[in-house]
Amino acid sequence: MAAFGRRNVLLALLAAAMVLPAVANVYHLFIANLIVVYVLLAIGLNILVGYAGQLAFANAAMFGIGAYATGLLQVRLGWSFWLAFPGGALLAALVGLALALPALRLSGLYLALSTLAFAQATQWVFLHWESLTFGAGGFKTPALSFAPLPIDKPHGLYYLSLALLVALFLFAQNLVASRVGRAFVAVRDGEVAAQSLGIDLLRYKALAFGISGFYAGIAGGLYSAMLNFVAPEGFDLFQMVLQKAMIVVGGLGSITGSLLGAGLVIILLEALRAFKGLQEIVFGALLVAFVLGMRGGLVSLLKRHLRGWEEPLRLAQPAPPLVRARPLEVPAGGREQ
Amino acid sequence: MLFNYLLMSGVTTGALYGLVALGFVVVNKATGVINFAQGEFFMFAGFIAWMSHVQFGIGYFASFALAVAFGFLLGCLTDRIAFRPIAKSDVVSLVLATVGVAFVLKGLARTIWGGKADYLAFPPITSPDPIMLGNIMVIPQQLAVLGGTVVILLLFTAFFRLTRAGKMMQATADNARAAALVGIRIDRVYTLAFGIGAAIAAAAAVLTAPLTLLYPDIGFAFFLKGFAAAVLGGLSSLPGAVLGGLIVGIAESMAGGYIHSSVMELSPFLVIMAVLVLRPSGLLGRRQPRRV
Amino acid sequence: MSPVVLSLEDLHFSFGGLKVLDGVRMQVRRGEIRGLIGPNGAGKTTLLNIICGIHRPQQGDVRLNGVSIVGRKPSAIARLGLGRTFQSSQLFQGMTVLENMMVGLHRRTRTGLISAGLDRRRRRSEETEMEAAARAALAFVGLADLAERPATALSFGQQRVIEIARTLISEPALVLLDEPAVGLSANRLTELDILLRRIRQEKGVTLILIEHVIRLVMGVCDQVTVLSSGRAIADGPPAAVRSDRGVIEAYLGKDLGARYQAS
Repeated sequence: MAAFGRRNVLLALLAAAMVLPAVANVYHLFIANLIVVYVLLAIGLNILVGYAGQLAFANAAMFGIGAYATGLLQVRLGWSFWLAFPGGALLAALVGLALALPALRLSGLYLALSTLAFAQATQWVFLHWESLTFGAGGFKTPALSFAPLPIDKPHGLYYLSLALLVALFLFAQNLVASRVGRAFVAVRDGEVAAQSLGIDLLRYKALAFGISGFYAGIAGGLYSAMLNFVAPEGFDLFQMVLQKAMIVVGGLGSITGSLLGAGLVIILLEALRAFKGLQEIVFGALLVAFVLGMRGGLVSLLKRHLRGWEEPLRLAQPAPPLVRARPLEVPAGGREQ
Repeated sequence: MLFNYLLMSGVTTGALYGLVALGFVVVNKATGVINFAQGEFFMFAGFIAWMSHVQFGIGYFASFALAVAFGFLLGCLTDRIAFRPIAKSDVVSLVLATVGVAFVLKGLARTIWGGKADYLAFPPITSPDPIMLGNIMVIPQQLAVLGGTVVILLLFTAFFRLTRAGKMMQATADNARAAALVGIRIDRVYTLAFGIGAAIAAAAAVLTAPLTLLYPDIGFAFFLKGFAAAVLGGLSSLPGAVLGGLIVGIAESMAGGYIHSSVMELSPFLVIMAVLVLRPSGLLGRRQPRRV
Repeated sequence: MSPVVLSLEDLHFSFGGLKVLDGVRMQVRRGEIRGLIGPNGAGKTTLLNIICGIHRPQQGDVRLNGVSIVGRKPSAIARLGLGRTFQSSQLFQGMTVLENMMVGLHRRTRTGLISAGLDRRRRRSEETEMEAAARAALAFVGLADLAERPATALSFGQQRVIEIARTLISEPALVLLDEPAVGLSANRLTELDILLRRIRQEKGVTLILIEHVIRLVMGVCDQVTVLSSGRAIADGPPAAVRSDRGVIEAYLGKDLGARYQAS
């Protein structure tokens, strides 16, 4: 195994992450936890956009649904966090599954727009359906305790997040190297051929949407616990662009890339915290720069210069003919999936 | 009375949505992509006009021209930077590139003008007192908006029908490869399309500015509504864009007046979903069969 | 007489106001290589699209091994044992050749979400088997050394062959080939001819071949169906079809056709 190969680097990062609380202050711990949350988001989004090729903009909304569901199940129904958390994640996954239905009939740009509109509608619900979501001001969630374990909330939550991240990271790695992962890429690179090989489009699109929804839901639940507070701001369009930037910067179609991208973006974000305008400029520019210049993301740089970073299923090369915006995948008079 | 007022208001905002939508359709017909920065072109041009008219005291019409010219340049620049290098790429890249541009513009606006309080007021150009047109109470600025929209549409149609550049654009929109084969410089056409699309958005912004407050996030709101209008009208149809805009504007106004003002923000989502479910080619668009 | 693998009964299909198929009947037996020819616009590709489920006929039936498949989803029909190649290259660009081949085995394998994610033993053993089968299939077409190449780094001829291999690997009962010879040089054509015969012989797969390259059709097909203006106007062994008056007229028109026959 190469000295700086992927596995070694990841293990080193994990070791560092595990001992971090011993040397970090509360603020650093918070940032580290935030990175973990965003890595989860980025992995889910990468599976959907990078592997399955579904250009969806609903991830931030599902993040919000996870957070709101986790919070509301506790506050309105009195559930314990340990029940509300998986509940919220499941709900986000279900919403994700539901989004697969329009994904069948819409392609490319139209899917992007309709998921964007959906995200907008979700924001609207968060803001205006006050009897359910407490409206623009948000709401506090009950304090989280890890009793009977002798660990305080910030530390406990951090280790919980880390444990979940490791599990879900490995799950995703295994998934993309399997028949399911190949089916995703087949759907991305040639839907018609994929069908002719027996791949059911609805099933695999639903799977991709559901998985990304689940990951976003877990991230949302953790996020709500981190802040002890849920409000509409964390789930808006800027958030969505951030997540896209993460997967582009890290590497579309690479699970490890999601990790790198999320880490880098969060650190940059914190560094620029004082200037919202500057944040937007930097992230916009980052997105454009990487899309133009480094489509494989940072991971591609690593793959080129270091051994031991190969991954199955590389990024699709740009296809020569320009894709025209066409609403449906269905030929007029033809069969729908 | 309420109905007439809402109708007028709806028609006015609808005209603006129609213009934004027109910008979308122009770019889409020529290049096949949706420019996610369209809303930010609108916003930025509006700010430029504000800066010119309010800060530097330049006259309204001169500021108008300035903003439109600036918009045009911005569009061309976007084409060169974010579209042309990846014109042959897949959809994901194209969308994300224009999204990136949108955010850069938004951040720039916030940085340059944000310090002066986030919401900028543009002084009314005409007298703010409403006048009565028959039964309908109308603010002169609304008439200015409608008038301005009509003028822009006429200019636009004239451009497409009568000028050589316009015809080249039509040819490219119809069949890019054939156009290239007969010697049309399609990369120039693409740049022109982006420029025109942005210029139209700029014009819409300067028309809107006296009626509403300008703020950096206004771009996205108009983007969604403009896009909903374009989809409703049929992305391949220029008159459809305007029609779509009017419908969205009126529907939104009615819903806002009769149901609740917060519903107005929901309109783009509802329109987009309804169209895509019921009639994806839009009201006036062509149905595109897919060939295997 | 071998059993009927595919049966088309009185197919009618219209598209955008145009009648594309006007009562097509066809029966293909197991182990046959059936050629499907006809002038452009005759409806050949549409017929393939109907068989594999992309379009639904307004009237008529399609039976695969006796089972009616009209109205089913394309992926379901594929799982029933139908394979297909397309006129333009449909290799998955984001994968290597080997990975492309392994997708071909999709309908024969079972690893699902949970086994894949949890890396259960089932997944690993299935992966090993799939890889072995994929390599074997590549060896069958003589391209085993291309296994690790990205799909984007192949010559046109190689792409076509690998696509055929990919669709064969799951041992479908029937394979539809849409102009496999398009753009091939004379050498490659001969190779294709040999390949098709080997496929029939060693794999026992039934083939339907749309082609314009008459040499290939006459050489390798057992039987040829001629489609013109949405109807099957001739159906028989290649030599018979070649001299059929209706066929000649369909291709050359009445005048030229008469002159050709007279000559």
